[in-house]
Amino acid sequence: MIEAELIEKRTAKDYGLFKFKLKEKLKDPDAGQFVMLKSPDEPILAKPFSIYSYKNRKLTLFIKRVGRLTGKIFSSPIGEVFYVRGPYGIPYIKKIDRDKKYILIGGGSGVAPLNFFSELYPELVYKKLYGFKGRYIRELFEEQSSLVIEEESGKTVVDVLREVYSEGLGVLACGPIPMLKTLPPGSYVSLESVMGCGIGTCKSCAVKTKEGIKMVCKDGPLFRKEEIQWEWI
Amino acid sequence: MGVDLSVEVLGLKFKNPLVLASGPAGFGFELQQYLDISKVGAITLKTVTLNPREGNAPPRLVDTHGGIINSIGLQNPGIEEFVNIIAPKLKEIRTIKIGSIAGFTIEEWKILGEKMDKIKDIKAIELDLSCPNVEGKKIWAKDEELTQEAIKAARESTDKPIIAKLAPDVTDIVKVAKKAVNAGADALSLGNTIEAMRINIETGLPVLKLKTGGLSGPSIKPITLARVFRVAEALEIPIIGIGGVMNWQDALEYAMAGASLVGIGTAIMVNPQAPLEILQGIESFLRQKGVEKFEDIIGIAHRGGF
Repeated sequence: MIEAELIEKRTAKDYGLFKFKLKEKLKDPDAGQFVMLKSPDEPILAKPFSIYSYKNRKLTLFIKRVGRLTGKIFSSPIGEVFYVRGPYGIPYIKKIDRDKKYILIGGGSGVAPLNFFSELYPELVYKKLYGFKGRYIRELFEEQSSLVIEEESGKTVVDVLREVYSEGLGVLACGPIPMLKTLPPGSYVSLESVMGCGIGTCKSCAVKTKEGIKMVCKDGPLFRKEEIQWEWI
Repeated sequence: MGVDLSVEVLGLKFKNPLVLASGPAGFGFELQQYLDISKVGAITLKTVTLNPREGNAPPRLVDTHGGIINSIGLQNPGIEEFVNIIAPKLKEIRTIKIGSIAGFTIEEWKILGEKMDKIKDIKAIELDLSCPNVEGKKIWAKDEELTQEAIKAARESTDKPIIAKLAPDVTDIVKVAKKAVNAGADALSLGNTIEAMRINIETGLPVLKLKTGGLSGPSIKPITLARVFRVAEALEIPIIGIGGVMNWQDALEYAMAGASLVGIGTAIMVNPQAPLEILQGIESFLRQKGVEKFEDIIGIAHRGGF
C-alpha cells in the first residue's frame, strides 16, 4: 500500500477536509473513484473513501466522522501516516451521457466525488447543490453558493432540485439512500457501501440490480436509479 | 543460498505454503489484477453450491476490534455455471487450484463432488462444512456425525484429494477431526470464521442484516492456532492452518503448530499484496535461523522446538 502522510486538516464538527501527501502517485484517478485507506494498526480493515481532489500526489478526502477509522483520522495530528491503495471503481465519465449537462446533487459526505467531478469536468456541470443540515459546514467551503443548508432555508437539496430541474438536464447524485430514492427517473446515483477489498473479490458490497447482484466497488459506484432494487438495500 | 519453501502434500508439490483461503480471493480473476497469483502456493476457490446463490442482503460486513465479521452467504453462480463458464478459464490462474463446494444435503455433496471431479484444473476439493452464514441451514462441521456423512458422500464421488474445512467453534475439535479422517478426508482445513455479531446501540439492532456472521482476523488467530496444535498432536493428517494470518510471524506460528499449508483470507482483503510480503518474511526468517527447508519447521512445536 502507498504511504499517505496527513499534511493538512480542516474540520467543522463531524465533517472535515483532510489532505494527504502520497509516497507514490495514484494511477490516473478520475471522478467517482475511491481509495481504500487504512490505519497502521486498528481497525485492521481498509475503508473506501471517494476522492474529493487529487493533484501531484496530494490526495484530499472529505470525511464525515462515523466510526473507528474516521474517528482516528479526525483525532490524528499533522504528520500521521496512513496507507492507501487504489483508485478503484468505474469513473463517472465512463458511465454517463457526455452530451448532457448535469445537476450535481450531494448529501453530506456524498459531496466528495462530485467536487472532484466538477474540478475535472466543469463543462458538464449545470449546477451544484450540496446539502447539509447545519450552517457550521460553511467554514469548510469556499464556494458558498453551492451549499443548501436545511437549518437556514428549511429546504433540502431535493426541494431545490425540484425548483431548478428541467427536461434535458442530467442528475448526478451521491448521498444518503433516502435522498437518492426521491430523485427523478434517469438520475445517476453513486452508492456508498461497506466494503472489504474494494476490488470485487470479497463480495461484501453487494447491490441488487435488474441484472442481478452487482458489486458497488467493481461495477459501480455509479448506477442508473432504475437499475437498483432499492428495497434490498 | 535460497531457502526451499516448497511443500509436498496430498500428492501435490506446492511451491510455497501459502494458500489463498476460500472466499475473499473469489475465483482469482479480479484478484490477479492486483496480485501475481503464480507466486502463491495455491488458491482455494470461492465455495460453489448446487444452485446459484445471491448471498445475503447488505450490510454483509462489519469490523470489530482485531477483526471483521462477514455474512456474505455463499454468493456464487452455482455448479453449472462454474463448470461451463468459470472452469474453462481457470488456466489463467497460474497456481494450484483447489475447488470448494458446499452441499445442503447428502445428495448435493455427491453431485458437487462428481462435477468437481471432472474439472482437470482442479487438483483437490475442499468441503466447506463450516460456513456460518447461510440462514436456516445446518452447519455440518458443528456435528461430528453430519461431518462424517457429508465427507463419505463426497468421498464416493471423487478420487481427487479431499480437504475437510472444519469449524473452530466446536467443543472437541479432535473428535470431529478424527471422524473426518475416518470418513475419508485427505487433509483438514482448520478452521473457518467463528460465529459473532455486533449491535448498533443507536438503533438497538444487529448491524448485519443476517444478524450474525463469522469473525475473522487477528483476534481469532490464537484460537484456531490452538485447534491446529491439538489436531496435529492427535492425528497424522496434513493441515491447512487458517485464521487471522496477517503477517509472516503468524504464518510461521501455524506451521510450527503443525500446519503444512497456511491459508490467508482477511489479510488479502486488507491488502492484496500481503501474501508476497508474508513470503519474503518467512524466507528471511528461515535463512537467519539456518533452516534450509520450510518443511523442517512444520510441527516443530511438537518436537521440542529449534
